Amino acid sequence: MIWVRIRQVFSILVFLLFALLFLLPERFIHSGLHGLVAFQFVPALIRTLSEPEALFAAGVVFVLLITLCFGRVYCSFLCPLGTLQDILSRLSARMGARRTYRYRPPRNILRYGLLAITAISASAGAMTLIAALDPFSLTGRLFKHLVHPPLAWVYNTATGLLKPFDIYRHPLDTAFVPLSVAVFTGLFLAGVAYLAARHGRLYCNTLCPVGAFLGLLGRLSLFRLRLNPSGCRECARCEDVCKAGCLDARSASIDESRCVRCFNCLQACSKNTIRFRPVRRPGAGPVWSPSRRALIASLAAALTTGTAAISFSLRQPLAAATTPKTLPVTPPGSTGFAAFTHLCTACSLCISVCPTKVLTPSFMDYGPAGFLQPKMNYEKSFCDFECTLCGRVCPTGAIGNLAPEDKKLTKIGEAKLLDDLCVVYVDHNNCGACGEVCPTGAIRFVEKETILYPEVDAKFCIGCGACELVCPTRPRSIVVDALAVHTRAEKNISPPTPKRPGGLPDEGFPF
Amino acid sequence: MTTSKKYNRREVISKGLSLGFMAGSAWILGRPDYLIAQNRLPAPPDLVAVRNGEPDAMFQKAIELMGGMSQFVKKGQTVVVKPNIGFPRVPEIAATTNPILVKAIVKACRDAGAARVYVFDTVVLTASRNAKNCYTLSGIESAARSAGAIVVPVDDFSYREVTIPGAKTLKTADVHSLVLDSDVLINVPVLKHHSSAHLTIAMKNLMGIVKNRMIYHLSGLDQCIADFCLFRKPDLNVVDAYRVLRSRGPSGPTDPKIADTSLKKTLLMSRDIVAVDAAAAKIFGADPLDIGYIRIAHQQKTGNMNLNEMKIATFTM
Repeated sequence: MIWVRIRQVFSILVFLLFALLFLLPERFIHSGLHGLVAFQFVPALIRTLSEPEALFAAGVVFVLLITLCFGRVYCSFLCPLGTLQDILSRLSARMGARRTYRYRPPRNILRYGLLAITAISASAGAMTLIAALDPFSLTGRLFKHLVHPPLAWVYNTATGLLKPFDIYRHPLDTAFVPLSVAVFTGLFLAGVAYLAARHGRLYCNTLCPVGAFLGLLGRLSLFRLRLNPSGCRECARCEDVCKAGCLDARSASIDESRCVRCFNCLQACSKNTIRFRPVRRPGAGPVWSPSRRALIASLAAALTTGTAAISFSLRQPLAAATTPKTLPVTPPGSTGFAAFTHLCTACSLCISVCPTKVLTPSFMDYGPAGFLQPKMNYEKSFCDFECTLCGRVCPTGAIGNLAPEDKKLTKIGEAKLLDDLCVVYVDHNNCGACGEVCPTGAIRFVEKETILYPEVDAKFCIGCGACELVCPTRPRSIVVDALAVHTRAEKNISPPTPKRPGGLPDEGFPF
Repeated sequence: MTTSKKYNRREVISKGLSLGFMAGSAWILGRPDYLIAQNRLPAPPDLVAVRNGEPDAMFQKAIELMGGMSQFVKKGQTVVVKPNIGFPRVPEIAATTNPILVKAIVKACRDAGAARVYVFDTVVLTASRNAKNCYTLSGIESAARSAGAIVVPVDDFSYREVTIPGAKTLKTADVHSLVLDSDVLINVPVLKHHSSAHLTIAMKNLMGIVKNRMIYHLSGLDQCIADFCLFRKPDLNVVDAYRVLRSRGPSGPTDPKIADTSLKKTLLMSRDIVAVDAAAAKIFGADPLDIGYIRIAHQQKTGNMNLNEMKIATFTM
C-alpha cells in the first residue's frame, strides 16, 4: 500500500518539477532545476556518449542500476510521460470510462524492433524516431507547444484587465509554433491519451524505446514481484489493476520486462500473496525460451550494425541524401548543422528557456532526419547578444554551453544585404533599421548627400538575425544565411565612424 | 487784514511731486515682487541651456529659468514622461536617457501636484525579455519608480490609431493610449549618434510612442519623424546631453569600455521641439541643416530651427 502512495507522491512531484521547468523557465533556470534532466534516460545517454559530463554519466549509471536492482521503477517514478499517462487514465476512469486491465501477450517484435531501428537510426544521425518517441522529449513538446501558449494567453489577458488599476506587467511571450508541429504534437497527445485511457501503459510496452530497453534489463532485476499460488484465491484483482497488462493471474506469472513497478497489484491483493522480494538467482529468468535467445542474438546484431553504421561513416551519405537545400540557422553552441541534428531530440527545453523566443520548432526544415528540431527563426525574433541560456540547458549536448565572451564571437550565419530590395538603395530614403539593432557594429553606413547607405562588414557579423527581424521590406532585403559549420567572427573594438571634432566641451555654448 | 497762506506755483509743484513720489514708493514697496520682476525677462525664454552640472542639478536650474514646473504641470493632471529606453544598455554607454535626470523630472512633476506620472518607451526589439532588460539595465525603471512614477511595460494592445492632419507621408499612426489620454507629455530624449538619422534627439524620440516604427523606415525616416510632430508636440522637451554617444549609435556597443562617449554635461530645455533639436545638433557638433527631419519640421512650421531668432537663456554651473 505504502509503495503505491510513495510512487504517486514522488512521480507527481517529478512531473510538477518538469512542468515548472518547461512552463516557467525564467523562474527556475537559475535554481539548477534543469539538473533533473540528467536523470532522464535518453538525454543523459546521448550526453554521455557525445560530450560526457559527470552529472549526466551519473544519471545513466543511476537509471541502469535502479533498473537492475528493482526493475522498471524509472517508468513509474521518474518518467514524466509515464506519470502523464497515469494521470490521463485516472481522469478517464473518473469520467466514467471504467475499465479493468487484462493480461496481454507481449509485442516483442514491435517493441524490440522499434528499439533496434531507433537506436540504429540515431547512431547513424537520423533523430526522427527518437525525437518522436522519447518520452522526455515528447512530454517537453506537450508542455511547450500545447500547454504554454494557452497559459500565456490567460496570463496576458489577466494582466490586460489590471491596466485600468495602473498595474502593469510585461507580457509573457510564447514561441511561435508552426501549425504542422502543433497538429502533430496534438495528434500524438491524443494517441497517448487514448492508449492510456483504454490500455494503461501500452505505449510504454510497444512504442517507447526507453521502455523496451529498460525492459531488457528488467528481466534481470534483483527484486521481483512474485505471485505465490498457494495463498491465492484466484480473484484476479491484481490483473484488473495491472496497467502494464503484464500480470497473468491464471498462470500466476508476471512479465518482468513489461512491469513498470506501479505496485498496484500489491495493493489490490487482499491475501498478500504478491511479494516484492529479491530473488537468489538474478541471472536466470523464470522462462528461458528459444525465442528469447533469438531475441538476444538479434539485439547483439543490431548493436553491431549500429556501431558499424557509425564507423563506416554511414552518416555522410545519409546526411547528403537528407540535407535540405537551404539550411536553417542552428543555435550558437551547436557548432553546425550536422553536429546539431545528430544530437537533438527536440525536447524543446531550449525553446522554453529562450528569452527572445527566436528558437522555434520546425517540422521538416532540417529534412526528415531532423524532424521537429528547433531552428533560429529570424522572421519571429532575434538572438540576444548577451544570452547563452539554450546551451546551458540543452540536455543532450546538441547545443554546447558557451562562455558569454565566446558566444558574442560565434558566427552561426552571415547577413546578406540585397540592395535590389533595400529601400535606401531603391528609394534613396534613410531607413537604417538594420544598423540600429546590430549588436556587433557589422552594418556600416556610407553617406552620400545626407542619405546613409547600409553595408555589411561580414567579418564582424555573427548571424544573430536582429537585422533580418526588423527589416521593413517584404521580402526582407537583409537575410541571414546559415553556416553549415559555425566559425568565429572578429571582435569589433574601434568605433567604425571617426570621432567628429565638433562640440565645445569646455567653453560655453555653440549658440 | 486777512492773511491767507498762499501757495506759490513752485511750492505746489514740488510738494505735489514729493507726494506723488511717496505714494508711488509706498505702492512699489508694498509689492516687492514688482521691483524684482523688473530685473527678469517678462516672458520665459524660448530655450534654456545649462551646462557643467549633474543631470538633476542642471534640470532644477533649467526648469527654474523656464518659470518652474507649475508652468507645465497643474495639480491633479496626468503626465507621461517619455525617456529613451530603446536598448538594453547601462547608463555609461549613453544609449538611454540618464536615470538621474528621469528621476528628477518625475519628482518635479509629483511636487507640482501631478496625480500620476507614467514612464515608458517602446523598445526597439520588442521581445518581452529584451524590454525587461532595457528597463532594468538603463536604470530608468528603478529610478523612476523611486520618485513615484508608474513604469509601464508596453504590449501590442496599448495603442490607438490616429490620423495626422497635414502629414505628407505618415498620415496615420498607432499612438500609445497613455499619451492620448494624459494631460501632459514631457519628452526626455538623450542626444546621441544615430546610424540612419544622423542624430537622435527630441523628434526622433517620439517614435517610441508609436507602435509600428517600421512604417517610418519603409517610407522615409526623416519625413515621418517630422510628420508625427504635426499630430502632437510635447509640452516640454528636456534633452539629456550629459554624456553623449558619438558613434555606433543608436545602440552603442554592449561593452561600456569601447563606447565612444564624451562628457558634455549639458542639458537643453524648450517647448519648441525643432529649436531644441537644432540646439542639440550644435552641441553634438553637427549642422542642423544636415539633419533631414529638423529641416523638414522647420519647413512644416512645427518649430523654429533658427536659433538666432529666439530668446535663449544659458547658464553655466
